[in-house]
Amino acid sequence: MILMLASAGCARDDEKSMEEVSYRLKWLFNISVVGDLYAHDSGLFAKNGLKVIVKPGGPEKDAIKELELGHAQFGVASADQVIRAVSKGAPIVVIAQLFQINPLHWIYRPDKTPLKTPQDLKGKTIGITHGGNDETIMRALLAKYDIRESEVNFFSVRYDYTPFYQGKVDLWPLYRNAQAPIIGAKLQKAGERFDLMDPSKMGIRFVANSVVTTREMLEERPETVKNFTRALLQGWQEVLKPANEQKAIDTVLKYNKETPEEIVRQQLPATRILMMPTPDFEFGKMDPAAWRQTEEIMLSQKLIPVPVFVEKLLKPVREK
Amino acid sequence: MLYKRIYQFLIIYFIGLAALMLVKYSLNLSDYTIPGVTEIWTTCRRYFGLYLMAVLNTLCVAILGHLLSIGMATVVGIIGRLTIWVGSFIRVAAYNIQAYPIVAVAPIIFILLGDGLSSRLLIAAMICYFPLLLSFIGILSEPVKEIEHFFESTRRMNWRLQVKIRAFENIHKLITVVVGSATLAMVGTIVAEFIAANAGIGYSIRIALYQSDLAKILVALFLIGICTSIYLVFLEWIGWFVKKQLGSI
Amino acid sequence: MRLELKELNYKYPGSVGDVFRQLNCQVTEPGFHALFGPSGVGKTTLAKMIVGDIRGFAGEINLQRIHQVLYTYNLERIPGWCCIREHLESSTPQSNRQRLEDLVDSFGLQPCLNSRFSQLSLGQQNRTNLARYLLQDFDLLIMDESLANVDEITKEKIILKIKSLFPQRCFLYISHNVVEVSKFCKQILVLRSHYRAPQAVSLQGQNFNGQRVLKEKDLEQSMLEIVNAL
Repeated sequence: MILMLASAGCARDDEKSMEEVSYRLKWLFNISVVGDLYAHDSGLFAKNGLKVIVKPGGPEKDAIKELELGHAQFGVASADQVIRAVSKGAPIVVIAQLFQINPLHWIYRPDKTPLKTPQDLKGKTIGITHGGNDETIMRALLAKYDIRESEVNFFSVRYDYTPFYQGKVDLWPLYRNAQAPIIGAKLQKAGERFDLMDPSKMGIRFVANSVVTTREMLEERPETVKNFTRALLQGWQEVLKPANEQKAIDTVLKYNKETPEEIVRQQLPATRILMMPTPDFEFGKMDPAAWRQTEEIMLSQKLIPVPVFVEKLLKPVREK
Repeated sequence: MLYKRIYQFLIIYFIGLAALMLVKYSLNLSDYTIPGVTEIWTTCRRYFGLYLMAVLNTLCVAILGHLLSIGMATVVGIIGRLTIWVGSFIRVAAYNIQAYPIVAVAPIIFILLGDGLSSRLLIAAMICYFPLLLSFIGILSEPVKEIEHFFESTRRMNWRLQVKIRAFENIHKLITVVVGSATLAMVGTIVAEFIAANAGIGYSIRIALYQSDLAKILVALFLIGICTSIYLVFLEWIGWFVKKQLGSI
Repeated sequence: MRLELKELNYKYPGSVGDVFRQLNCQVTEPGFHALFGPSGVGKTTLAKMIVGDIRGFAGEINLQRIHQVLYTYNLERIPGWCCIREHLESSTPQSNRQRLEDLVDSFGLQPCLNSRFSQLSLGQQNRTNLARYLLQDFDLLIMDESLANVDEITKEKIILKIKSLFPQRCFLYISHNVVEVSKFCKQILVLRSHYRAPQAVSLQGQNFNGQRVLKEKDLEQSMLEIVNAL
């Protein structure tokens, strides 16, 4: 009885000595945040002296704004969000890059829409989210291959895929790791073949989700940033190991009960490829060239008025 | 009347803007989180024309939807004033359907009708239809005994006369509910566009949100406020004109 | 022409006490009669039962050679979208049109014809309402406080006009004014509380029609009888 009380007291003491921070994700709990959730559930944050409140993101949530307002200490944002924010004076730095390959792809039916070269995009109806980064990527792609926007038909994309299923739209944007398994399964069930167009293979490298914090946090609480980054990257590294596949799936299903297990099982390897292109890849590594290209694309499309020199924002946390 | 309404809106808008600036400068927030006055002004100059057209587009749909819902509510209200089960069925159905949030129903409508004018129009009509309907049913099913008694006693009563009596006697309430629902029509249209359309100011706001551009949203809100104020004043003027013609003022 | 109420029993829905208990009374000839009683005794209820607006009572209401019964009360209004003239012209049957001007004149409604109902005084409103009922086809007209808010001189003029214009029709005049019912009415049905037996007492009024001198003594006698009946 005394031991139990003592250990309970110790647990409370341990909790008290842990530093509490909030971590705002970019989207809802799904496969793309499995490492964040695993780092929390497996006790990695706690082992590094942190009590991390992991909060789901969403369309109305903006991690960068929450960092500025002090509602969160760490967040996930895409590169275009980071660059746009910094161009407006947000004091943000990037401490890790989650996706090495942007998960944003376009799904299409090769039987109906053969795409052997980028020029085959001419005359096609291409779904884009006006104002979203898929619009930016597609415009960059068209510009790169000298395809005028009048030579394609842009279709404004909503939340539902009906226009694609009905064949009204030839190419539809989606996240390769999260949505492609679901939509692909539907097409296969209907006896249709599908393929995915990867902009990065066509020379457009647009950085996706990255972990951010404030400059103030990095300067005034470097140990906290280091501990957080260490635990987070370790969590991601572990959960993406093929040997830990079931643990990864269980973690996702714990927080996302709407997606069937067999779909999560397909989403996991797709996520692994995008985040760790090779088995020995150092998870979270920054790709300055991709960041520079992202900034150039945004400059050329006048999404930012002047350069922000994005390399200055990249602050990978290194263990000494 | 108009200048007063616009004046009031401007006061509220600029108080809101001042509050935002107070938060920005007291918390030392960047232009990304809360844009500065200069950025808001620059954005306004750049997007004013585009957003004005979008707001007018939305307003047209809102007005058409509003008229449609007034027409539907009038017809159903006339049928619903019956005391037989049809009338009470309509009333119960209206109460229950009104409870469905439009943000849940709107996506289904867009799937079925596509994202053209018809879906926006239907959503705008639906969002102000139910409050109108319940008011109309309430008014048209409530007998005005002091007037109707003579016509009933002398066997002159018919449904047209009954509706005319009840509508006339409650003209103030009817005008108030029609004017009040105009705001709902505008809100409903904007919400519908935000969810799933590809035109209108709601759609523009959605794009601005994707870009986290609060300056654009503030410009959009300004134009929405001005146009809605003008529309409401116009409706109040029509109400005053109708009352004057009917001699109730 | 005969109105007979036989052993009427009635209770308001949801209430414990009776309104009418074994009520018996009758009116056997045309003329200007009164239904008199204290407030709350059931005069309006009885009027509505005669007209047929209230059912669910025990007993009989027999109407012989009375085909059309109208009931009017002092709170009625004319639709607000038309003026008095328009309404009177549109609501008067063709067969009664010739009476329209006469009634308008007798009731002092000439100055009101181009006004809307809401612009009239209470007295003018009551007179207008009564005029339109008098222009209808009816055998029995029940007037429930129809001349409230009308001054005594105009009231007398109106009642005498009604009596002269409609000698063969039956009127049941509901009023609290013991002087006017005593003076103008032929038969006065005094309605009493349900615990009194008989609940209705029939008395003779002076039935003044302006063509004879009314003796004050006779009038007082009628008034006394009414008061004693209560």
